[in-house]
Amino acid sequence: MEIVGFALRRLLVAIPVLLVSTFLIFLAVAKSGDPLTELRERQPPVPPHTITAEEARLGLDQPVLQRYWNWLTGVIQGDLGPSVDRNADIGMEIGSRLGITMRFVLIAMLIAAVLAILVGVVSAVRQYSWLDYLFTSTGFLFLAMPSFWLAVLLKQGGIELNALAGRTLIYTVGDSSVIPPPTLGGRIADLAGHMILPTITLVLINFAAWSRFQRSSMLDVLGSDYVKLATAKGLRRRTVLRKYALRTALTPLVTVIALDFTAVFAGAVVTETVFQWRGMGDYLLESINGRDVNAVMAWLLVAAVAVIVFNLFADILYAALDPRIRRVR
Amino acid sequence: MSADPPPVPATAATPGQWRAVLARFRRHRLAAAALVVLVLVALFAFVGPLLWRYGHDEITPDNSQPPSAIHPLGTDSLGHDLLAQVMRGTQQSLLIALTVALGAAVVGTVIGIVAGYYRGTTDALLMRLVDLFLTVPTIAVAAVLGHNFAGSGGGWVLIAVVLAALMWTSVARVVRGVVLGLREREFVSAARALGSSDLRIMARHILPNVAGPIIVSVTILVATAILAETALSFIGFGVQPPDTSLGLLVANAQSAVATRPWLFYFPGLVILLIALSINFIGDGLRDALDPTQTKGPRRRRYLAQPAARTDAVPDDVLLSVRDLRVVFAADGGDVPAVRHLDLDLRRGEVVGLVGESGSGKSVSAAAMMGLLPPTATVSGSIRFAGQELVGLAEPRFRRLRGSRIAMVFQDPMSSLSPVHTIGDQVAEAVRIHQGCSRAEARERAVELLDTVGIPDARNRLGDYPHQFSGGMRQRVVIAMAIANDPDLIIADEPTTALDVTVQAQVLAALRAVRERTGAAILMITHDLGIVAEIADRIAVMYAGRLVEVGTAAEVFDHPAMPYTRGLLESVPRLDRPADEELWAIPGSPPTMTALPAGCAFAPRCTVRVPDCSTVVPELVPLTAGHRAACLRLTPEPLPEPTTTIPERP
Repeated sequence: MEIVGFALRRLLVAIPVLLVSTFLIFLAVAKSGDPLTELRERQPPVPPHTITAEEARLGLDQPVLQRYWNWLTGVIQGDLGPSVDRNADIGMEIGSRLGITMRFVLIAMLIAAVLAILVGVVSAVRQYSWLDYLFTSTGFLFLAMPSFWLAVLLKQGGIELNALAGRTLIYTVGDSSVIPPPTLGGRIADLAGHMILPTITLVLINFAAWSRFQRSSMLDVLGSDYVKLATAKGLRRRTVLRKYALRTALTPLVTVIALDFTAVFAGAVVTETVFQWRGMGDYLLESINGRDVNAVMAWLLVAAVAVIVFNLFADILYAALDPRIRRVR
Repeated sequence: MSADPPPVPATAATPGQWRAVLARFRRHRLAAAALVVLVLVALFAFVGPLLWRYGHDEITPDNSQPPSAIHPLGTDSLGHDLLAQVMRGTQQSLLIALTVALGAAVVGTVIGIVAGYYRGTTDALLMRLVDLFLTVPTIAVAAVLGHNFAGSGGGWVLIAVVLAALMWTSVARVVRGVVLGLREREFVSAARALGSSDLRIMARHILPNVAGPIIVSVTILVATAILAETALSFIGFGVQPPDTSLGLLVANAQSAVATRPWLFYFPGLVILLIALSINFIGDGLRDALDPTQTKGPRRRRYLAQPAARTDAVPDDVLLSVRDLRVVFAADGGDVPAVRHLDLDLRRGEVVGLVGESGSGKSVSAAAMMGLLPPTATVSGSIRFAGQELVGLAEPRFRRLRGSRIAMVFQDPMSSLSPVHTIGDQVAEAVRIHQGCSRAEARERAVELLDTVGIPDARNRLGDYPHQFSGGMRQRVVIAMAIANDPDLIIADEPTTALDVTVQAQVLAALRAVRERTGAAILMITHDLGIVAEIADRIAVMYAGRLVEVGTAAEVFDHPAMPYTRGLLESVPRLDRPADEELWAIPGSPPTMTALPAGCAFAPRCTVRVPDCSTVVPELVPLTAGHRAACLRLTPEPLPEPTTTIPERP
């Protein structure tokens, strides 16, 4: 019950932040140019009444503040507004693309987190061993690696592997095959196969920072008095590590991962463009280029809500892991 | 527990300390090398284009050439020389990243300091502002704004402004955190009491002290900014053609990785090189600014020297320490924390080990428990009930810990695990060494908690440490220590972190424990009042050496070593006139890395003779059990204490 109240308070605090950020972004996109340029310049010219109708449909004939107000009241009622593309429904579009993107973002985050914990804990426990040096240097390498460069590199690796094998061993383009396999199992395998390289990219560029963090947080705990006292009780080192050190050293990582969600999402945008996925990243770039205010706004709204939900989830998880927070709040 | 090397000043605020930071940074070879690499890259980007024969936008007749003598990095399909383009791209990327870092540093520092200094509403509002920037993926906003500015011809400055506006939050958060802690420190309160304006306090007193964290986080930000800018250019919303950036070069080379690999690899590797060097520099700076972290793969070495033992050990002696030496490996050289310690403890005896912080008492205790950090080297001999502990294999040591030798740490606030219940932690102490069931262990836990005076023990088993007061937590730790009826309890400053009234209760609990279990207690403290209440014998340590040892009566009534006398004189006592000023030993303990020759106490001693600064005094027997280390004890008896200690005003 306490947690529900806590969650509600967090959501209430998030609302003014959301209002301000959506307003600023709305202004920026609305001022970025005329979405109907292409229509106006079309040859042979389009009849003026068509253009006027388009302007009215998109609300371009109204002042910006009025447009933001319309957008806001629309969103509250569940209407994300018209898209510049007449045939597209923003809600439907975002829905399907979000599924595609979250599929590999969540799996990549999960794998990266597990990997970071393993690597971080082992490096801390075996501080200054060859394993620690190996993990530290790979960590530094991937911290400095541009995500898009790594993505292209992996893609090229996949292409060459396929060329070597003479058939498609690993998918390098798209989020699924153009002609999906007939069976359900086949479709799942097809999706999974397309996810391999983008997921590896996202895991590699994110786990490095997390494992560095996990290492230092584990080192902090290993130097703490309660770990010393647990050792002084006569516990085996393995028990001390598992029961006392690991348990408390994991909690800070939860917050870090939640805060890093935006970074992972940004990485996903870049990764998607390389592997030509029709996901959220692609939609963002398309909408910005088309000056499609409502589409960009919907994108940012979804991203912001995802961030808030993620942080909330992290706070609740943190509270569940740490009795001090649980009781105090 | 302070088994760490003596503390070193943590903040760097004076010119001398900055020189020390620089020296430490230079010793960090990887970081120093990275700095050289970065300087070379910068020269390449800014000076290179002036010397190179091709411009970045110059179209040569050689298109799609692999690397050759004329075009060291090859050319693209339009005939651009790649070396010229990479130089230009690096220049643009560095310009943007440095501007971003500078802008973010200024904005982040100002907002961080203001939020941390004023707190309250100001802080809450500014932190909401930070939240605002954390809610949306930076790249999306940067793409929107980048698209807005694309046609305006603003070039790198606009991109830098956009990125700086989005990235200052990390600096602000770091600075705010440090300032929140600094605000309550004495020098800030003092400045405020003197009537300094807020602005002046922030600029003169707070800013220099957050400089370290700012430098580190801004350095790392340069790498983040490089990666963000190249990613932005890669997706087409950063630097626009005909100008170029490293990200744009990689983007253009995407489809040609197989056919013209040089176009893809060279710009990418330059980004990697820059970001890698900056991260190493940041790492080196962090270590240089925080010298408390010892670096290096030093392993613990045990050098058991049982041969050093010449005297026979009587049967009733439980613990016998001979010639114990503990040396810590540190950056500034070896730190001899314990030097030639000899100490005996009989069964059931309470010995007070007294000394200032850094005198080596806690390190000696850690050596007895086998809990020294890997940077320590131990030699000499510690015999416990006939068993040599120096160099004892870990599995055998583990069986002693908690069962025969137990320990109580200094700070009960941090020595219990915050995420396990009290009942769990006490019952565990029982179960480790006695193969009993969970239920039996819980029963025993209730009994133990009763013994140390925890009211309503049974109902508190499910509580967490944060629900207990400091004194109660220390009782819990004592309950854990006596769980297996140990022969020896090492109590390392068990009351230091507690209020005076609570101190007395915890001492009473310890005394009761001693009577009930008959355990010997090694009570480590700097508080002579505590020793007077509980100890049978007293051992005094100074700068890693034992300087006086004897029964409580002997040491209190006839202190022989001038340091001991000074300690006794500096204790407030009820039997002295209240208007009499309290005596304090002049000077401060020596730095363990630069110990004076001869007697370590000589520089502070009021009765020193010339020999004191050359000859190390040995312990001299005064009575059967009373020994002290002072040169003035052997050739002639010391004058009466009343005349040696200078008159107080």
